[in-house]
Amino acid sequence: MIAPGSPLRIHLAETRYQLVALSRTPAFAIPTLAFPPMFYLFFGVVFGGGRGSAMPTYLLATYGVFGIIGPALFGFGVGVAAERDNGALSLKRVVPMPASAYFVGKLVLSLVFAAVIVVSLFSLAAWGAGVALQRGQWLALAGVLLAGTLPFCAIGLAVGSWARSQAAVAIVNLLYLPMSFLSGLWIPIGMFPAWLQKLAPALPPYHLSQLALEVVGLNQGGPAALHVAALAVGSVAGLAVAAAGFRRVGAGGGIA
Amino acid sequence: MKTTFTGGALAVLAPVAFLGFLFALPAPDPDGGAWPSSDFAVVGALVFDGEAFQEDADVWIAEGRVRAVGPDLDLPDSLPRVRGRGRTLLPGLIDGHVHTFDTARADALRYGVTTLLDQFTHPSVLAAARAARETVGESDGADLFSAGFLATTPGGHGTEYGLPVPTLRRPDEAAAWVDARLAEGSDWIKIVYDDGRLYGIDTMTTLGLETVAALIDAAHARDRKAVVHVARLADGLAVLEAGADGLVHVWLDEVIGREDAARIAASGAFVIPTLSVDLSVAGDRGHRELLDGPAAGRLSSAQRASLGRSFPDREGSRASAEAAVESVRRLYAAGVTLLAGTDAPNPGTAFGISLHRELRLLAGAGLPVEAALAAATSAPADAFDLGDRGRLVPGRIGDLLLVEGDIRNDLGRTLDVAAVWKDGRPVGLAPPTEVLGEAPPAEGPLSLGDFDDGERPAAWASTTDEMMGGASEAELEVVEGVLVVRGEVKPGFAFPWAGAAVGLGRDGGTADLSSLQELRFRVRGGGVRARVMLITAGGAGPPPTVSFPAGEAWAEQRLALADFGGADLSQVQAIAFVAGPAPGRFELRLDDVEVR
Repeated sequence: MIAPGSPLRIHLAETRYQLVALSRTPAFAIPTLAFPPMFYLFFGVVFGGGRGSAMPTYLLATYGVFGIIGPALFGFGVGVAAERDNGALSLKRVVPMPASAYFVGKLVLSLVFAAVIVVSLFSLAAWGAGVALQRGQWLALAGVLLAGTLPFCAIGLAVGSWARSQAAVAIVNLLYLPMSFLSGLWIPIGMFPAWLQKLAPALPPYHLSQLALEVVGLNQGGPAALHVAALAVGSVAGLAVAAAGFRRVGAGGGIA
Repeated sequence: MKTTFTGGALAVLAPVAFLGFLFALPAPDPDGGAWPSSDFAVVGALVFDGEAFQEDADVWIAEGRVRAVGPDLDLPDSLPRVRGRGRTLLPGLIDGHVHTFDTARADALRYGVTTLLDQFTHPSVLAAARAARETVGESDGADLFSAGFLATTPGGHGTEYGLPVPTLRRPDEAAAWVDARLAEGSDWIKIVYDDGRLYGIDTMTTLGLETVAALIDAAHARDRKAVVHVARLADGLAVLEAGADGLVHVWLDEVIGREDAARIAASGAFVIPTLSVDLSVAGDRGHRELLDGPAAGRLSSAQRASLGRSFPDREGSRASAEAAVESVRRLYAAGVTLLAGTDAPNPGTAFGISLHRELRLLAGAGLPVEAALAAATSAPADAFDLGDRGRLVPGRIGDLLLVEGDIRNDLGRTLDVAAVWKDGRPVGLAPPTEVLGEAPPAEGPLSLGDFDDGERPAAWASTTDEMMGGASEAELEVVEGVLVVRGEVKPGFAFPWAGAAVGLGRDGGTADLSSLQELRFRVRGGGVRARVMLITAGGAGPPPTVSFPAGEAWAEQRLALADFGGADLSQVQAIAFVAGPAPGRFELRLDDVEVR
């Protein structure tokens, strides 16, 4: 048993309360969980070209990335902004809880969402589109997708630390959808005009999608270390922006 | 308290369930759909690497070549895998003695024979063969290395098949002869030293030993190998003494003594026993089992035809299969390098499938399974300097034969082929769909010409050795209701002929004569010896022939179709009535030609 008051227990409890809170806001949970498998059902299963086509496998990797960055960006971007605006953040600050529990709770939430999306997408791919991968590939793809939430949590946090809740929704959507498209998450980047393709390496989802595609042997090439480095830079930049944001807000409700 | 416990349990159970889900996801079916190409791995197979077996090994093919071989290779997850468990993987087999005709390379490949060492063919095929074997990529047949034309005398062995073989007689012609072969693209030099007497042929000439020696020296001076065809042990020992690199048959007259075997071993020369053809020459019919065996479904009609054919029984033949097999046993015991070869498509052999029988014959002559398999893989690759084949080691071409089961105790299983790869590409194992006779089997008598209307029927035409570079002539006319064939059989081609041929199918097609019994015709010829040749679609090698006398007076000839040994009667293209090979003028008169 975990002793009452232990840090682990506090983290677990905070995570649980955030989960409960989230389950009471289906307007966020349902679309985030439903859209990626729905898209995949259309473009990967129904129009994926059937057995022997690489398209279902390609889209499994890219819709997987699309799926996991959604809850990360929204959970941190919109969630932090909203809870700061409505005072929940200030409240949490005054209870005897380490600040990390708040972020760990949010992070676990993103991971849970990511895991649900992985399960739904993998199921559709395996038993709907006939995608068959080596066990190591399935595990590695799931690993890349779960770990891949981290940079997008940081980027979401950067938004949430600066923007007010209404603005945060707009900013996250402006980041999420165009970034996903331009990174080749919806249609393979090779189908873009050459000038548009050049834009992709500037976008973090592109680098995560290349890591995911490398697992299934469909990446464009380029060293994995480069993509990892790009995502690391994105994470550090997001955290730096977020830290500055919280400092700016300061006692006005910030937590850091 | 309860809720906290639930939360903690969930925190543990959810990841476990997630992991369980990931483990339940499907892996690619190793044999699902088509065999993988160019980049793949055969995993967990019994692997024969060219010299020895490795159990439970992986073979990784990348870009059409062997990348790695060994147990538990660290293979990329995305690499397609082929089930090797319960199967044996071998290097593509090498047949050390064939004569390539048109379908040879594709026919061999369907049986996992990926390299052919040709010991006499027309050099016109060599340029294309060289180009094909030097590229690792799409391939429609086995790779071919060849001696090109063989070295023989006018009237010697090799001149009887209808190929315009450039002959020689004297040692001082040897260097120029070898240069001409190398210019044509020959990879090595093959020499005939056999006067045919052993088989009961008393009209055959052969090169003198001095000329054989001069040819060997000329080949060596140009850094090429020289191999020799012999039929007798004494001849074999003599040419090896003269420096020959190898013998392309084992002799058929007597069992070699242990000292002689030891001498051959010490010389480093190799022997290609070709027991398949030796047994067929000696009258053995064991090869017939291949026609009904489980692997027969992959035979083309050309392969069926050559397997079904027999050598003529000649009086006075002293060819002994037992002596050949016993000599092979002693050669192996003495340590002589043995290479597997079939001499396909001679009567009783066929490309590809016969090499599998040769492996069994070699095992029957005392070779352990590893040695028999090495004789068809690493040994010929070493003997003929075929650097990048014959072994499953990194860098070699991805020529692979995957067979079901463990072949160590039963070489017969090599014919249970699961898959064949050439240059890492999977090979289709189905026989070619062949254009069969457009006509249903002819039932009633088939009249081919009564010439009563005084016109020459369109189906009849002259045929001579001119198409092979000979100089014989023939012309046809119809006089008083009879077909008159006049001409001259001229020397200048090794196996001359001239006469008339009648096509059976329209537009070069075929007719199905399989339900008919005999060819009848009336003939008069002034005392020449003439022959009928049956030309069939897909026939490999010289057409089956029956000779008949054409006397001073008209006489009816009835030739049983069954006497045209091995001919595929279901697709006969033409029947030829010819004079030759004895030179001279002739006049054949033919009438009332029919098949009934």
